Amino acid sequence: MADPVLTLDHLGVTLRGRDGSVTEVTADVSLEVAPREFVSIVGPSGSGKTTLLKAASGLRDPTVGAVRFAGSPVEGVPSGISVVFQEYNKSLFPWLSIGKNVAMGARRLAPPARAEHVRDALHKVGLDGFASRYPWELSGGMQQRAALARALVSDPQLLMMDEPFASVDALTRGHLEDVVADLWERSSFAALMVTHDVGEAVYLSDRVLVLSARPSRVLAEITIDLPRPRTQSHTRQLPRFVELEAQVLERVEEAGRMAVGID
Amino acid sequence: MTAAAMGSGRAAATASRMRARRFGYWGLGWLGVAVAAAVWQLVSVQMHSSIFPTFAASAKRSWDLVDGPVLHQDLIPSILRTLAGFAISAVIGIVVGMVTGYYRAAREWTSAVFDFLRSLPTPLLIPVALVLFGLGGRMVVAVIVTAAVWPVLINTANATAGLEPTLVDTARVLGLRGRSFMWRLVLPAVSPEIFAGLRVAISVSLAVMVVAEILGGGSGIGYFISSAQQSFKITDSWAGVVALCLLGWAFDSLFLLAERRLLAWQRGTVGGEQHG
Repeated sequence: MADPVLTLDHLGVTLRGRDGSVTEVTADVSLEVAPREFVSIVGPSGSGKTTLLKAASGLRDPTVGAVRFAGSPVEGVPSGISVVFQEYNKSLFPWLSIGKNVAMGARRLAPPARAEHVRDALHKVGLDGFASRYPWELSGGMQQRAALARALVSDPQLLMMDEPFASVDALTRGHLEDVVADLWERSSFAALMVTHDVGEAVYLSDRVLVLSARPSRVLAEITIDLPRPRTQSHTRQLPRFVELEAQVLERVEEAGRMAVGID
Repeated sequence: MTAAAMGSGRAAATASRMRARRFGYWGLGWLGVAVAAAVWQLVSVQMHSSIFPTFAASAKRSWDLVDGPVLHQDLIPSILRTLAGFAISAVIGIVVGMVTGYYRAAREWTSAVFDFLRSLPTPLLIPVALVLFGLGGRMVVAVIVTAAVWPVLINTANATAGLEPTLVDTARVLGLRGRSFMWRLVLPAVSPEIFAGLRVAISVSLAVMVVAEILGGGSGIGYFISSAQQSFKITDSWAGVVALCLLGWAFDSLFLLAERRLLAWQRGTVGGEQHG
């Protein structure tokens, strides 16, 4: 395995409430993401998936443990990491047009190159001709594609996604999954996605990590050896897909049972 | 007719209906002004009192003000003082509001001091300002700022403290830090609340300008009104009141015009229909 692009080393996050209450959200998570690899993290709700992603991206400092990106310790969000959030309607800047939103992702480029990159990124997500529209003029799926274009316009080494398809309807979700899969296959970024949708994790990933309930640790690691390119209609019918999905689901249910203490 | 054509036809109908409604409000607004003026005229003619001149006399006199030396002596200084006080309040209110709103420590340090200063009645500060700045324009501007800064500051600080966390995270991922974070994220994100504060501030500025000028302006429309009153030029003082009303209306109209342009992006996100 080549040098990992992202390393979480015994990461733990403890949140302190304003009333002084202390919650250990993440107990001990270690993981590595290789260049060009697609890794998903699934877990029962309340397992601190979002908190983990925030610590991994540098948006929040871990309480214990370390995060390394491309070999160096993470302090603040490194410029090689892009993040797509679940709530596209709160993540796109409503006062900027779609084109200007995407251009915010390319601020480090000189203006002429920037315009070209923005056009290119919009084309890749199928939003040609929408540069001058405002976010509210677009459907939810289109807004999330715009957010994706903004994340990828800077040509990141690592794309992090926090429940990226949870706020759209089922049909749009399948389409967005394919947009991401296609972009990932045609580019060189690694991806780390957090989701509660087991099928989606299996469909997109090279590797799926299952988190336990909080305080979370990595409960299982399942390698997804499905052939690529994958398609919704074909891949999801494969016996191997169904088998892997069941395998992941079983571990997620196990984590859920641990949480409520039935086991 | 295709569905798309029907859709655009309906959109056009809605737009023309909205235009008609806006024109309707506008027309009714002027009708209201005309009725109020007519009532003033009728009542004053009936009363035939020297302390309550007719609308026609007051309006004619206020035109004389604009046409005569009073324009340069009093009206223009008042406008400039109001605008200067408003502008200084806006800058201080926005900057201090964003900083105290964003940094919790700054908010906690300043909240008690601000609450104390904010609750001081403005007229109380006029004697102090007179000692500090003497009679005239600088004193008036200073007093305006002590009152008009608060609606801007409080609105900006509250909106900044309540910024959507996802928006803040997004900005950090995009590499916005320090001044570019404040300038490119916070300022546009809270601009609707800033505008709401500014609109209050402009009317506060106008009101405080008059009070400060009456008590120690040395010149200005407030000074003009009170000295006209003291020398029993009743029509003059009413004319001043009419001029002041027109000034307030003009400020507010210009302000709404600016707001409509600068916050055009908001039309679709607030109140308007949201696409799913």
